[in-house]
Amino acid sequence: MIFGFVVIAINLVLALIGPLIAPFPTQAPAGASLIPPNATHWFGTDVSGMDIFSRVLAAPRVDLTIALVSTTVAFACGVALGVLSGFFAGSTAMARFFSGAIMRAADIFQALPLFVFALALVGFSGPSTRNVIMALAFLNIPFFLRLTRGAVLQVRSRTFVEAAICAGNSELRAAFVHVMPNSIVPALVHFSTTIGFSILLTAGLSFVGAGVPPPTPELGLMIKVGAQNMMTGQWWTALMPGLVLAVTVLAFSLFGDNLRIFLDPTGRR
Amino acid sequence: MKRFIVFAGKRLLFTVPQLLAVSVIVFFLIRLLPGDPTYMLAGPYATVERIGEVRTNLGLDQPILTQYADYLKRTLTGDFGVSWRTSQPVLLDIEQRLPATLELVVGAVLVSVLVGVPLGVAVATNRGGIADRLVFVYGMLAGSLPDFWIGLLLILVFFFALQWAPPPVGQLDFGVPAPDHITGAYIVDAALTGNWQVFWSAAGNIVLPLATLVIVYMPLVLKTARSSMEEMLDARFVLQAKASGLSRWMQLRYALRNALPPVVTVTGILFWFLLGGTVLVETIFAWGGLGQYAVESVINSDYAPIQAVVLVMAVFTTLVFLIVDIVYFLLDPRISV
Repeated sequence: MIFGFVVIAINLVLALIGPLIAPFPTQAPAGASLIPPNATHWFGTDVSGMDIFSRVLAAPRVDLTIALVSTTVAFACGVALGVLSGFFAGSTAMARFFSGAIMRAADIFQALPLFVFALALVGFSGPSTRNVIMALAFLNIPFFLRLTRGAVLQVRSRTFVEAAICAGNSELRAAFVHVMPNSIVPALVHFSTTIGFSILLTAGLSFVGAGVPPPTPELGLMIKVGAQNMMTGQWWTALMPGLVLAVTVLAFSLFGDNLRIFLDPTGRR
Repeated sequence: MKRFIVFAGKRLLFTVPQLLAVSVIVFFLIRLLPGDPTYMLAGPYATVERIGEVRTNLGLDQPILTQYADYLKRTLTGDFGVSWRTSQPVLLDIEQRLPATLELVVGAVLVSVLVGVPLGVAVATNRGGIADRLVFVYGMLAGSLPDFWIGLLLILVFFFALQWAPPPVGQLDFGVPAPDHITGAYIVDAALTGNWQVFWSAAGNIVLPLATLVIVYMPLVLKTARSSMEEMLDARFVLQAKASGLSRWMQLRYALRNALPPVVTVTGILFWFLLGGTVLVETIFAWGGLGQYAVESVINSDYAPIQAVVLVMAVFTTLVFLIVDIVYFLLDPRISV
């Protein structure tokens, strides 16, 4: 719990001030090419002489921003669709039809291969930060939708919902004001995990050259640049950014796990 | 038996609309995004005649429904267009590359299940030991390790430092010819034709990519097997079995059978994820599979292959989920369509 919290806090701080406190320029050479880690260059330099430590400090501004924005969009759309689809699952024929249609659409999008579909979306629309965000948001909607719908289906039949409708609230208002707050916990827990997963996907897309354009200080790009040197023994080029990436993603996933246990103390680990 | 046939038949019928919907998505994917699909599909070096030809072939002057019907007809007959990068029909490109990817994915899923499930069950039956704690920590890593980074580390250690593994340049060592074509998967073909030189070369080359995938994705299976088995061992029916004097072995058998359905689901999900997820590992090891093909096509704006790869992978995913549902039914007959 402490570990996840600390790493996430450091990431947030770095996203705000990372590029400002970096000791060297983050997108320009700061010394000779491929210097091993030493007192001046803590993580060494990469093949074009850029200081890896400075770039790692600046990376959360890119990676975390993409992950946060895309996950927030996916969360908002997924929860809204989940509430609608769950709440109206037992309503009039027309509403049932749309409720079912939303679910079938989610089914079909989840049959598409996740990473390759992300690759195709970014590829068709051109590699840029905005397009990576849009692709990730789009891919994550079905997961939030499913979780919320499941919770809504359980909450919907409770008497307070009936009471709210009897008291004169419209169905839509009952769905979003009364049911949604009571069925948002699963999606909320998934939020943290999804941020970690999105960082991983962003790095993966950049690694194959379909993410943010170089020389942006982004973890996947740094690993991509370091990969060639890794084969010839300059281990620091890819090891350091990768380690930071793994620790960050792990922190978000552990935080999500802990949040789940905290919010549902009766559940199993 | 009759119930099984009804179930399988109904479930099979469901895949038809699913596949149709997937084809609709792939069809519209290229048309909804900005830009003229003609230029996208013809490629950057296309001549004016070629662009006109593609335009006529696509029937872009036709109504959208007619266009879709044509697309569906071409897809069903295996015409995915031509890749301008390899200047081969996309279908041929895919036929050459799909076995390599399947070899890796099926291998990784098999090893993950064959190691992960027994290990998870063993740990669940002996709770509290060191092994239990190690497995718990390893399970927490599920989904947070970057596979491409682990692959690079393995190359650094086993190829560069120890020189045990061959260089990451593909499925066979340099100078070793491909075995006779039977399935297209080199290991299987070499074993079938008794070509042991090629077999050992292919086996040596698959170790690192396979290990990468197993290290990164086995925790998912392991974690599920462990928690599902623990839950079943704590259930009343096992206590009842114990109270009735059944042997420990019988108790475990009862628990295991009931613990399997979640494991089957996770195996299906793993397969789905890996089909698209081997892309990065394939890239690192220059594997020459479908994933690498997709990446190269995206980088070079070669759109016909991307469409085809997404479609082919979606078809495989649909088949895998079909199999998962059928196995699920065999394990738990209470399930209905």
